[in-house]
Amino acid sequence: MNNNSAFAAIHPMVLLLYFIGEIVITMFSSDPVVLLCSFVGSVLLFAMLSSLKQFLSDLAFYLPMLVLIAVINPLFSHNGVTPLFFMNGNAVTLEAILYGFDISLMLISVVYWCKCFSIVMTTDKFLYLFGRAVPKLSLVLSMALRFIPLFRRKLKEFRAVQGAVGLYSQKGFVNKIASELKVFSALIGWALENSADTANSMKARGYGLKGRTHFSLFKFRVGDIIFLIFSAVFFVVTTAGIAVGLTDFYFYPRVAKLCFDSLKTAVYSAFFVLSVMPFVVQLREVVVWKYSVSKI
Amino acid sequence: MKGNYIKLLVLCLGVPIIVAMGVFLFSDRAYAWVSLCVAVLAIVPIFISFEKGSHSSIRLVILAVMIALSVAGRFVFAWLPHFKPVTAMVIITGMYLGYECGFVCGAFTALISNFYFGQGPWTPFQMFAWGIVGLVSGVLAKYFEKYVLVLFVYGAAAGVLYSFILDVWTTLWWDGSFNFTRFIVNITTAVPVTAIYAISNVIFLFLLSKPLGKKIKRIKIKYGI
Repeated sequence: MNNNSAFAAIHPMVLLLYFIGEIVITMFSSDPVVLLCSFVGSVLLFAMLSSLKQFLSDLAFYLPMLVLIAVINPLFSHNGVTPLFFMNGNAVTLEAILYGFDISLMLISVVYWCKCFSIVMTTDKFLYLFGRAVPKLSLVLSMALRFIPLFRRKLKEFRAVQGAVGLYSQKGFVNKIASELKVFSALIGWALENSADTANSMKARGYGLKGRTHFSLFKFRVGDIIFLIFSAVFFVVTTAGIAVGLTDFYFYPRVAKLCFDSLKTAVYSAFFVLSVMPFVVQLREVVVWKYSVSKI
Repeated sequence: MKGNYIKLLVLCLGVPIIVAMGVFLFSDRAYAWVSLCVAVLAIVPIFISFEKGSHSSIRLVILAVMIALSVAGRFVFAWLPHFKPVTAMVIITGMYLGYECGFVCGAFTALISNFYFGQGPWTPFQMFAWGIVGLVSGVLAKYFEKYVLVLFVYGAAAGVLYSFILDVWTTLWWDGSFNFTRFIVNITTAVPVTAIYAISNVIFLFLLSKPLGKKIKRIKIKYGI
């Protein structure tokens, strides 16, 4: 995971706000230009955050998916005034296919934003954000997160032990389920017994006393404030545009015309800048790095 | 008391604001917006009351263990698609640790598994769906202990309920409105998966509920929760 990239180094709070804003706008607008901006931004960012191989294999999965979703939409929707052909007595309309493209662009952009979100917002940032607001829940969350790798290691151990005494078999479906269940039940027993130790140790170290502070590595830097201000401005401009209906777009009965008057262009460009901001941050880092390497 | 006010505030102010925003801002995707936000808002009050309640540290640790076990259960049975002990674990947690812990267990299991399997806009819905499964099992706990059959019926119903909630979400998300044909198609294509959910829940409840219940009860007595 590319956790120490320039974009991931931004303060978690700023990142969270950015992702929420971007995803909400993407998810709930139907204007094709807005969705295209979001799509471009998310794919570019994902290209920067992931390895080339991962990026290409994802693209090979999602591009056909984009077409597929568009093509199956007419099966569910027979609205529109431009029939292309008839299938089983139902019209397959141009509008329905175009609407399908629009929807799939939205779906896939959101999936890409969420992928980037997963890469950038690691669990430690998540816990940092919610740790102070909901201390008990985030304690439970962080303990559970810590237990999972531990349990997976223990599972391997239990399997090995059960195998050594001849109680674990991979042959046959029922055998396999029975053996896995035995291992799982051993894990449950072990985990519950050990939880008492953890709880006692917590008590001994003064869990729940007043005046305890949290450890964190995150600081609000000047760059974070600049990023926050820029994204807030572009977000507000875009939502204002959406609120007054500049990006209202409809597909039925007839597809609305795309037009680029000055106000609309302003909203579109604001959202475009908002969408590619993370990519620009990443790109700047790469360029600066290349430049300084070439100077050495 | 303060928690109650916040709960009331969330429900009485939050929901209308969201519906209004959906209608004015996102006219054609209003349903998707409202359903997503209401799912998030439905999670908030229960989380708040969990946060306000007094829980001993051993209770919190056991809850964390149960969450981790149900996520680990997904890895144990990774080779069998959809055949997972997760719902059974959530139901058992609700039964023995109370409805709040049941809800938190369900919601966090969804949240944490998605750290591994991919977060998305479906996360709040999965959290809500599994959370409700845990919450209801906490409420019905005393019937489960009396009549084992009720537990198994509930386990099967929970599988169907979970699948149903997520199908509603899929439909809303694709069309922005409730397209009934799409919903029927979603439900019918999901029938085999739903059936596996229901059957696996019953099997795992049959195998796990008694021994696990015994273990949790023992610890509860031993450490006095």
